Amino acid sequence: MFNYYLKLGIRNLRRNPILTALMVITLAVGVAASMSTLTILHVMSNDPIPEKSARLLVPIIDSASLSGYVPGERTERQLMNYTDTKNMMNMNIGADRTAIYSIRTYTQSSDPSLGLVNAAGIATTASYFKMFDVPFKYGSAWSVDDENKTAKVLVLSSPASEKYFGQANPVGQTLRMGNDDYQVIGVLANWNPLPHYPNLVQGGDHFVGEDDFYVPFATAIALKLGATGDVWCSYATPKPGVEGLMDSECVWLQFWIEASSTAQIPQIKEQLDAYVNEQRKLGRIPRHEKNELLDVNDWMEYLQIVGNDNKISTWLAFGFLALCLVNTIGLLLAKFSSRAPEVGVRRALGASQAEIFKQFITEAAVLGVVGGIVGLLLSCACLWVISLQTKQMAVIAHMDGEMLIVTFVISICASVLAGLLPTWRACQVTPAIQLKSQ
Amino acid sequence: MLTMNNLSKVYRTHMIETHALRGFEIHVKEGEFVTVTGPSGSGKTSFLNIAGLLEVFTSGEYFLDGVDVKNLDDNARSKLRNEKLGFIFQGFNLIPDLNLFDNVDVPLRYRGYNSKERKDRIEHALEQVGLASRMKHYPAELSGGQQQRVAIARALAGSPRLLLADEPTGNLDTQMARSVMELLEDINSKGTTILMVTHDPELALRSQRNVHIIDGQVSDLVRVTSSLVAA
Amino acid sequence: MEFRPIFSALLRNKVAPVLVAIQIALSLAILTNALYIIELRLETASRPSGLPNEQDVFYIDVGSNRDLSTQEKLDQQARFEQTILAVPGVLSATEVNEMPMSQSGLIDSIRVDPTQTKSSAGTTVYQSSHSLIKTFGLNLIAGRDFTEADVEQQNPDGVTLEPSHAIISVALGQRLFPGQTNFVGKHFYWGEGAETKIAEIVGVVERLQSPDAASGERGEFSTLVPLRKVSNTPTFVVRAEPGQRDRAMADVESALRKADGMPLRIKNHTVSGDRKQRYGTEMTMAWMLIIVSVLLVIITASGIVGMTSLWVSQRRKQIGVRRALGARRIDILRYFITENLIISCAGVVSGALLAVGLNQFLVSQLELTKLPAEYIFLGALAFVMLGLGAAYAPSWRAASISPAVATRGT
Repeated sequence: MFNYYLKLGIRNLRRNPILTALMVITLAVGVAASMSTLTILHVMSNDPIPEKSARLLVPIIDSASLSGYVPGERTERQLMNYTDTKNMMNMNIGADRTAIYSIRTYTQSSDPSLGLVNAAGIATTASYFKMFDVPFKYGSAWSVDDENKTAKVLVLSSPASEKYFGQANPVGQTLRMGNDDYQVIGVLANWNPLPHYPNLVQGGDHFVGEDDFYVPFATAIALKLGATGDVWCSYATPKPGVEGLMDSECVWLQFWIEASSTAQIPQIKEQLDAYVNEQRKLGRIPRHEKNELLDVNDWMEYLQIVGNDNKISTWLAFGFLALCLVNTIGLLLAKFSSRAPEVGVRRALGASQAEIFKQFITEAAVLGVVGGIVGLLLSCACLWVISLQTKQMAVIAHMDGEMLIVTFVISICASVLAGLLPTWRACQVTPAIQLKSQ
Repeated sequence: MLTMNNLSKVYRTHMIETHALRGFEIHVKEGEFVTVTGPSGSGKTSFLNIAGLLEVFTSGEYFLDGVDVKNLDDNARSKLRNEKLGFIFQGFNLIPDLNLFDNVDVPLRYRGYNSKERKDRIEHALEQVGLASRMKHYPAELSGGQQQRVAIARALAGSPRLLLADEPTGNLDTQMARSVMELLEDINSKGTTILMVTHDPELALRSQRNVHIIDGQVSDLVRVTSSLVAA
Repeated sequence: MEFRPIFSALLRNKVAPVLVAIQIALSLAILTNALYIIELRLETASRPSGLPNEQDVFYIDVGSNRDLSTQEKLDQQARFEQTILAVPGVLSATEVNEMPMSQSGLIDSIRVDPTQTKSSAGTTVYQSSHSLIKTFGLNLIAGRDFTEADVEQQNPDGVTLEPSHAIISVALGQRLFPGQTNFVGKHFYWGEGAETKIAEIVGVVERLQSPDAASGERGEFSTLVPLRKVSNTPTFVVRAEPGQRDRAMADVESALRKADGMPLRIKNHTVSGDRKQRYGTEMTMAWMLIIVSVLLVIITASGIVGMTSLWVSQRRKQIGVRRALGARRIDILRYFITENLIISCAGVVSGALLAVGLNQFLVSQLELTKLPAEYIFLGALAFVMLGLGAAYAPSWRAASISPAVATRGT
């Protein structure tokens, strides 16, 4: 029966191509608008590491001075200072932990005419790669020993490795960065989580680009590699350079804690609170703000990675879809009402109201499928146009498999929803009246 | 009251010319009750439409209540229709979304009466047909006979000079048909001229005068009972 | 006119009119908010930075990989500057620490009264040893530009972010000294904490945006200081001759590479490019909403045309009867237009309520501002007119239905 209705539905849509085209376009346009905005929202709010995101935590301590303090006001200083970072690294808080800061420097390009090439990367601990499940193509991260010896080693990202060394495996080779020579000990495989969640506050654009290199934290400090990310100083202005920052209460470090399981989180929170209270007794951390422990998704929400404009666009686009839906109801009403004689005959020949319902709903669903196809094409076109607008959008505005399915689901649901009233109307047709007025 | 001389109506569609009426002639005096009969396709409907100023004719003359309607534009014809004529259709043609009061009200609205005058006329007309008590009801709640009576009330409310009826009893059972005919005769006795198109030979016999149309022309036979029965 | 019967007839046959009214309501609600947002975003994106003829200005980061002493860095900086100034097509150039709309810079909190615990304002600080007013092209409306004597040098051991002289923007002045118009000669204190240095305001510029160019007044709080930074990788802002920016940019880069023996890393930026990057999201948003708005109007209009045509075809007989009963063409036209107006008004009234509701939601959840009433009024008017326009053709066709339809049936 379903096949029969399917065939009927397709044939009926073809019988009045203009009306069908109008319905398809109306539906497709609504679907395209909502899917484009939804896809962008989806990519931007995507959980970049779903297996682990509930267990990776950012501690937030307001260690600023009392000057300008408004109790309860959210701190703009989401990073940590060196003293707290050092203490918490040594505290063995959580199952694992890491600290990150951004470095901007330059390397010697293999093409001598290009002179020096800018490079942007981070200083971090070896635990970074384990905590964030970073895959390696060649080599591996440094060892604890390397850190203790402040060895001049580094790990390259895949694109950076190709930029400096071409297609070859560069492990073991030397790369000159800034004023020092480093040995390349590892190259990452393709790893580009969207957004770049480990280093959101300092690390440039949230979606575009990638860290070129990773050096051991201790090495960076020893070589005085400057912190080029955001720095907030609420006490006295620090002396210049990384040493000055280490000496001060300025915040400039991104800290992450990995919990062995979500059950461990309350315990970690307790440890955090205990540490802060302890520090207060030592005369530091004068503000009495609540400490926070945010997992990856909460952290992205806290930083408002998904801009308000994206959310507004999505709401308006779905409102637009609602309009298209109501419009389609009208069109279907017109279409189905002209078929009253057909319904009358079918009913007279034995079709129950349920059968009429199934027939016409199937027709509406066919419309939904066609609308979905056209809507999908339109969505992709819209996304392509959007991707041309900013560098960020070039990375974000792409349809993925999940959204493709959602496109069809939305289109079919919309058309079936729109078809409910007209179909119900069609079922109400009394055969007698229809047959008489021939 | 109504005079047509040498009237003809030609329909042209693509390559085909249909002569619905040719050399048609009819004179209806004031106060008469005239029936118009003829087989299907004879031109009865065309005659009625032209008489009712619903369509224009191709050539000839038509005087309605002394007015030469030939060169009247659409607006003028609408006005004339509204003031001088009353229509009664076979299918009643009441507007289903309006109650009886509002249905009778329709032609009066185009006349420009104030609301008191309209109300008086509507109530009087519905009383005349015996349905004043059901003013707020809707057509779907009435029987066929009652609906036709409302249609008659509608036709009468504007005090027309001529009532045009197109098969008024065609959709009614014998009992209702009889009561409608009695109503029409009653109206006619009070002075309203009535021109009625009908299939029914019995009704033709009841009327004062019968005009028989065959092939778009008035046939010579004025009252030939046997031919009518045979047709 | 026959308003009441038309209205009660509509009530008896609610589905189609309600559908049209809902479409009008939805469209009005979305359109008013969308147009308002478009206005806000375009307004934000077109704010002047304070630099006239932005398309002629570019800036260039220059760095070497040498380990230099303070004096060597200063000498290198001076050499770079001379090389740049010697390039034909360069009108003026100076080193600078940050650029407006570049989304990267420094913010300092300053106080008017050294005893107050909360800062008076957070301002961005533009540092240069030569006149930024000249190279930027800023409009100095009070006081004077810095002189050679005012220039301080960054202390190699400390970070002298606290020079004694400053030029501020008007917006910052109004924030620091509310209600006053003259700021020249007044003072403020740098930073937070007990021991801070004082600065004297020697001049006021009409406007200068900060690097983050935040919306609202925050983006207009700027301070210029006469400070020579000591850096291995200075940035120079260059104003080229009108229309010569791209050529000058290329020439400056090659001149720098040629002049210096060792390899350099050079990165070019343009103010126009920064503007495009800074307002990329605003412009994308505005364009998307413009397209949606146009589609909204088209779809609603087609919905009205469709529904009205449907009614007309469904009521052919009735129209013929009315004509038979004496209605003129214009009466039929008026009937349908009246119907259309009733529906449009219903749609517009509910649309206005919906618009306010939607705006409330966006204000409370997504940081939008309140929709001005004019949008709703103008929008309502526009949709009533749209409804009339869309219904006109089908109504006219209805009026052309022959009265003979009453008897003939078609």
